[in-house]
Amino acid sequence: MSVTVLGLLGIAGLLALIFARVPIAIALAVSGLVGYAALDGWPRALTMFGLVPYQMASAYSLSVIPLFILMGAVASRANMASELFQASNAVFSGIRGALANAAIGACALFGAICGSSIATAATFSRVAIPEMRRHGYDPAFAAGAVASAGTLDVLIPPSVLLAIYAIAAEQSLPKLYAAAFVPGFVLAGLYVLVVFSVAWARPGWIPRVAAMPLRARLRAATGMWKLGVLFFFAVVGIYLGWFSPTEAAAVAAFAAIVIAFATGAMGWRGLVDALLETVYTTAAILFIVIGAFIFSRFVVLTRFPNDLVSWVQSAGLSPGWVMMAVIALYFLLGTFLDEVSTILITVPVTLPLVTGIGFDGIWLGIFVTVMCTIGLISPPTGMTVFVIQAQHPEIPVARIYLGTLPFLAADFVLVALLIAVPGLALWLPAYLRM
Amino acid sequence: MTRWRRIGSTVCGWAAGVSLAGMMLLTVADVTLRAAFNTPVRGVYELVELLLAGTFFLALPAVFLRDEHITVDVIDTLAPRRVPALKRAAEALAVIVLVVMARQGWLAARDAVAFGDITADLGLPRILHWTALLVGVVGAAAGALAMALRRRAGR
Repeated sequence: MSVTVLGLLGIAGLLALIFARVPIAIALAVSGLVGYAALDGWPRALTMFGLVPYQMASAYSLSVIPLFILMGAVASRANMASELFQASNAVFSGIRGALANAAIGACALFGAICGSSIATAATFSRVAIPEMRRHGYDPAFAAGAVASAGTLDVLIPPSVLLAIYAIAAEQSLPKLYAAAFVPGFVLAGLYVLVVFSVAWARPGWIPRVAAMPLRARLRAATGMWKLGVLFFFAVVGIYLGWFSPTEAAAVAAFAAIVIAFATGAMGWRGLVDALLETVYTTAAILFIVIGAFIFSRFVVLTRFPNDLVSWVQSAGLSPGWVMMAVIALYFLLGTFLDEVSTILITVPVTLPLVTGIGFDGIWLGIFVTVMCTIGLISPPTGMTVFVIQAQHPEIPVARIYLGTLPFLAADFVLVALLIAVPGLALWLPAYLRM
Repeated sequence: MTRWRRIGSTVCGWAAGVSLAGMMLLTVADVTLRAAFNTPVRGVYELVELLLAGTFFLALPAVFLRDEHITVDVIDTLAPRRVPALKRAAEALAVIVLVVMARQGWLAARDAVAFGDITADLGLPRILHWTALLVGVVGAAAGALAMALRRRAGR
């Protein structure tokens, strides 16, 4: 049996285990171990199996993950979301679609700090959807807007998903954050355009809401200061050369705790809950990271990615066709896999493939992350959609999916823009001489 | 969640949470001392690595006890009657994987002690990292086994 066939069998076995409800981390570890043993013998496979967890779980670069998650867990408990929604509403107040755009703006900023699409969607479905419905918004559109806006966090820095990609693909995290800025805010801008377009085409879905008085707007806008401080430490500090990513995450998490205590928004109980939530989430994610590294050792041994690149080159496939295949792959995986697993499973194969046709590893990180935002709102397992449905059971899932459709189109517009104009992602890192 | 699962996961969570808080405070102290007095904490990288191992491995048993793995549950709608058996099989597989991981970790840890492996800067014995790993992986195996037995008993 050829090595490439063994590689394909390993991938098929992994997918079979995942579909059989085996935890993704265990599925990755089993397929990686068995595949490695088939190629290089059990003694070496078992040695690798013992060493990878040690090497990964005590790697300094991974410490950024729990610290950013902690910052988000504290921000979620410290009432920052509703203040941000009011502030964002003050900015858009008076124009048609103001509340939906306020939700998008607030989700983009809060999601960047929170780092979890599910937490962002859950938070804003409580804050924004009742407000939109109270003002006569179509329930499906309101839910679709929040479900879609909740996905912006995976792209806008500091993003936990980009940190995971940086580790899996061995790319620079500051460079990835710089590359994500423009596409992240372009996507938020496209979502705002979607709201205006729907308001124009279906004015009944998005009634005009009376403008807030100027004094109330100014007062509400000051509610952004907490997130501003956290963003400064978590992102700006890296580019000013003050902190490494891990230091930035630690300082921002500490600042979030200080702000939450100083403003009386969170007490000791809240801090303990935030710490517990963080360690449980971290353990689940890092266990997948370990499984993925065991699996990637096997994939590298098969030389499957290299064979795939050679095959693509010998078949004379144009980069456009290759990218269409990659988009189809991520779209398909996004319908049933979570975004962390999607990245960890695919990157060992897609990174050499995509860089082999002339794209950049940093660019791929942004592209893959945008594809993950699509997976989060695509049927049948759009996670943010389910989160919103759980909190608003009176809105049927199918109607929420319908509400996300215009935003899904915006996601694909960004994918097309990224492929046509890679500079959209690569311009800022080059400008910052990174 | 039953009482023993709640106690087990809370103990693991607290131990990991203390590690995480230590990692954050140590890094903040390092940044502050470096900026204010140009005297960073010596060996902060090595300490953070050790605390990260503690954060992750000590919380790992809780992931099993709380049944909080990331899984794909498409099968739940396609064949709902098979789900309990599949969950039991997945937990049995997890026990095997974790036991093998623990055995290999034990062998490597024994080598680390025999060769006197220490960190480069502070000279911390590497066995500290391995201890966190072994406690976490063995605890996770016990958690997975307990969950599999619980499901087998129909609870």
